[in-house]
Order: sequence, then structure tokens, then C-alpha cells
Amino acid sequence: MKLKITVLVTSVALLVMAFFSSAHQKALLFDVPPHFPAPVYPFEKNPLTEAGIELGRTLFYDALLSKDNTISCGSCHQQAAGFTQSGQALSRGINDLTTRRNAMPLVNLAWSSHFGWDGGVHDLDLFPMVPIQNEAEMNESLPNILEKLRKKRQYPVLFTKAFGSPDITDERFLKALSQFMLTMVSANSRYDRAVRHQGATFTPSERAGWILVERKCSGCHPEPLFTDFSFRNNGLASTVNDDPGQYGITLNNEDRYKFKVPTLRNVAVTAPYMHDGRFTTLEEVVAHYTGVEHGETLDHLLKRDRETGILGISLTPTEQADIVAFLRTLTDDSFLQDCRFAENKGL
Amino acid sequence: MITNSVVRIFLLALVTSATFVSCKKTEEDVIDPDTKNSVTVEFENRVGDQKLILGTTPYKNASGESFSLTALNYFVSNISLKNENGTVQKFPNQYFLVKQTDAKSKLITLKDVPSGNYTEMSFMIGVDSLKSVSPVTERTGVLDPTSYGDDGMYWSWNSGYIFLKIEGTSVAVPKTVNANQNFAIHVGGYGGGWNGSAKTVNNLRTITVPLTTKATVRANIAPEVHLFVDALKIFDGPNKLSLATTNSVHSPAVATPVAENYKTMFQVDHVHNNKQ
Repeated sequence: MKLKITVLVTSVALLVMAFFSSAHQKALLFDVPPHFPAPVYPFEKNPLTEAGIELGRTLFYDALLSKDNTISCGSCHQQAAGFTQSGQALSRGINDLTTRRNAMPLVNLAWSSHFGWDGGVHDLDLFPMVPIQNEAEMNESLPNILEKLRKKRQYPVLFTKAFGSPDITDERFLKALSQFMLTMVSANSRYDRAVRHQGATFTPSERAGWILVERKCSGCHPEPLFTDFSFRNNGLASTVNDDPGQYGITLNNEDRYKFKVPTLRNVAVTAPYMHDGRFTTLEEVVAHYTGVEHGETLDHLLKRDRETGILGISLTPTEQADIVAFLRTLTDDSFLQDCRFAENKGL
Repeated sequence: MITNSVVRIFLLALVTSATFVSCKKTEEDVIDPDTKNSVTVEFENRVGDQKLILGTTPYKNASGESFSLTALNYFVSNISLKNENGTVQKFPNQYFLVKQTDAKSKLITLKDVPSGNYTEMSFMIGVDSLKSVSPVTERTGVLDPTSYGDDGMYWSWNSGYIFLKIEGTSVAVPKTVNANQNFAIHVGGYGGGWNGSAKTVNNLRTITVPLTTKATVRANIAPEVHLFVDALKIFDGPNKLSLATTNSVHSPAVATPVAENYKTMFQVDHVHNNKQ
């Protein structure tokens, strides 16, 4: 009798533990950091599952997505470089072709409602079609990719685990990629641990830089995501490659030279900078804002400094150095090294 | 002889009574809206008074430019039929892609149309804004943006469907623009502005055509509406477009004159109301 009760109690306890641990694991698939706003991605239309994320990760790192099986998403979005293409001003795709723009960082995508430097895509699920079809990126078509996936032994298995049957459809393909990319949340930099009072601290220079960023930069790069997701002309000098930015989507003259405000998170590892990668260091980037070009669509926040009334953002050399010091505190090593986001070599 | 004339009279009486019976029957053509049938709409693509044939068949526009066609595709959606009492029958959430290369695609069947005498038809060329921003799950069949392969009907870089595309070759296209003198005119643009994104031009156009011969849907009549679609109007509509200058259209804002033109390219050639 006693033995029976013990067995019963133990099994109930085990069941309860199993329930809680699985619930706990589910919560971990996507956690909204406590100091972040609510995400905008409609998760209810694409609920994350472990198997879905795993399939997405496998697809993300599979070069089969390109016409000649040489380029994967990960080729231009490298984890150690904050999911940008390390050192490339303009990202390089298939046949060593150069694309028009710098690879954007993939991070905190669940909070973004439009994608790409010109914001031409409004749904994360539809974004992968852009690089897939671009002749200088992957130059491939979705129907071809699905055919290739069907012929590889691992995919019907992975699709079954993720979606309940081995059918390889474009909807599942796109949703799995979204699931993986949505999990790429960066919210554990030294800055985050400092504002959450988790033991991290700022140096005096970093703290001064933080205050300056709040005062001078938060109009476009507000905390905690360090972007307001808007499109602005930040006064870059016109170049031979006259990329009109958002104008290319709207053909509205007011949108000429407007580009998406990128996040500053992990910015120290995402060089080179701007939509065309024209700046190689953070020092150059910060210095740029002290001397912007006055074009017709220049953002109103850059027309005159709120304190000095001068074009651009007025910053002394020390202030510029402080800002750069602060920007380096936004590097999230746990994100950049998280093996959940790395290529799974075991497959 | 007598027998013969009796038979004749009898036959005459029979025929006459049969006529009366059938006349009476016609008068009794009560429309029972509870009975339904289908309406088929045929889109016959043409170039002026000629049939449209893809390949090398030469055509000429009003600017005097000789051209041939390699593709003509367009989306048809939001079809509605108005009956003689003014009641409008809508067919929501039905999207069709008419492709010149696919004979079957040129026949659109509307199912479960209530019996009635329909005097007007409306339809949209393109994919309405609601569907244009719908989640991937709802983009099935011809709306699946990943399904088109090389015959793209979707702008991946500027999220949205290509409502209509016409492609071909013309000696009027400057070789400096395209070495093979190919032209490609793609019209899209549902208006944008979704979820705070940038607004784009709205090139959705609704076409309304009268059915001078009414489409008389009955339990035993499934009408066929035969449309002539004159591709020449794409160049020679309210806006006169020359292939020398309008030969590469890939953005909503520049496509509006084209949309204004193709709005005029549909007309009803005839309606069949054959009994089944």
C-alpha cells in the first residue's frame, strides 16, 4: 500500500514537473524582454514551435536556396557580425555579384512592421522572396527551391516535425524562416544589464555618451530598440551611385534619399555603415552627423541642432568619443554567440 | 383521302395546342431566386479587330509602331452582377488570373448565381488592397506570390501584385533601352500605407459593362458572357502611349496612365443563354 502511494505521488509529481517544464520551454521560444514594448508580428498566425524554428534555421543556412547552391541567407547575414555581411560595403551574392545595398542586420524583427532599407516589404513572411529572386543575391525561384527541398532526405522529416505532414509548401517554407528569424532577439548587452540593474555599469565616458544619445539621437534611435522604424534622409553626401531610397518604392519626391533608421544594437560589429556601407568606423558615422548635407528632403531633426541652431548635430570631439563608447555597450555577446542562432552543423 | 385530312386536322390541332401550351409556358417564366446556376465569363484577348496570338504576329498601335506580344496576364477579382431590379450579386474572395498562354484561365466560372435577369457586370482588374496585405496563409491558388516562377505577377521588393502585365518586342523600343528591343509594362499598386508603411499610387480599376442581352440565369440556363478584350487599348486608350517612350514600366506611380487605358479595353461581344 505504502509503495503504491509512493509510486502514485512520484508519478503525479513527475507529471506536474513535466507539464511545467514544457510550459516553461514554450515560453522560452519567444520571450519579450521586460524593458521592451509588445512585438507587432502576428504570432497567432504563425505560432512558434521548436520544430518550426529548427526547420527555419536549417533553411536559413542552406545554400540550396540559391540558383547554383552557393549562397544561403547566412552568407550575407552572419551571426558574429550582428547578421550583416562582415566588412562588405555592398553585400555580395551569387556569381560574386555585388548588390545595390549593405546587408541589414537581422535582429528584433518581431518589432518591425516594414523591412529592407526602402521599406518596400510589409510582412516578414514575404521578405525572403526578395533576396531569393534578386539576380545579384540568390537568383532563384520558390518553386525551384521547393523541388530541391523535396529531393533532399532531411526536409520531408523536418517539415513533418514542424507542420505535421511531409508536404513542402511555400507557406510552410516562409513561415519556418520567419519563426527562426523572430527568435533572434538581442536584449542582453551591457547597456541592457545596466538599465535592468543586473550588475553591469557604465564608465563615465559611456554614461556621458548615453546621456548624449538620449539628448541628441533619440529622435530617430529611441530606446530600447534604438530605432523608431521610420524612413529618413540623414544628410549623406550624394554619390555617383544615386540610390533614391524609399522614393524607389513610392516615386514620391518627398521620399527621395529616405532610408530605414537602423537599430544601434550591436552596431559596433555591423561595419561598414549606411545603406551603401560608405563609413567603415563608428567614429566616421558619428562625425558625419556634425556635417550633414543639406538636401531638400533632409530630415527636419537634422536641419538645426536644438541647442546650437547649427545644421546637423553639434558634437565636440569628446562628445563624439563618448557616444562611440556608449554605442559599444550595445554589443550583445550572448546574442552574437548564441548557438540557437548558429548553423547546426550536425545535420 | 378522308382519313388523310382527318389526320391533317388532328395534327394541325395538335401543333396549335402545343404552340399554345409552349406560349403559356413562356409567360409563366417565373424567376425562382432559390434556384441557382453558374455564369461563365470568357475573356477573349484581341488586338484591335484581330485575335491576339503570342509570338511574332505583327500588330500596330495608333502611334504607328509595329509590335508583337509575348505575354498578356491580368488579375480579375471582385466580380459582381446586377439584375434588372437593381439587386447586386457579389462574388467576394474569388480571384482569377487570366493568362493568354493558358486557354482555361480565360474562362471564369461564377458558381451559385441566383436565377435572375442580369443587366450589368462589374469586375476589378487587380487584387484589392485588403487581399494585397493579407497573411501568407490566405494567399492561395493564383494569389500565391511564390507560385509564378519566371512569369512573375508579384513585386517581391515592393510588396504587391502585378495587376496586369503586357510584354513583347517592338522596333520602336530604342536599342539603348533594351538591346533586344523588348518591352515590359507591369501595372501594380494597391495604395500602400498599410501599418504605417509608405503610401503608393492606387492603380486598382473597376470596370462596369452593360449586358445588353440580359444574362438570364435559370435552373436550366447557365449563361455565358463573352468579352472582347482589346489589348491595343493599353496603348491607345484615353492616353496615347508610344512604345518609344513607354516600354519599361515597373512601378505604381508611372503605371497609372496604363491603368487608365486598360480600363477601357473590355466590352461585351455577346451573351449566350442556352438551355441545358
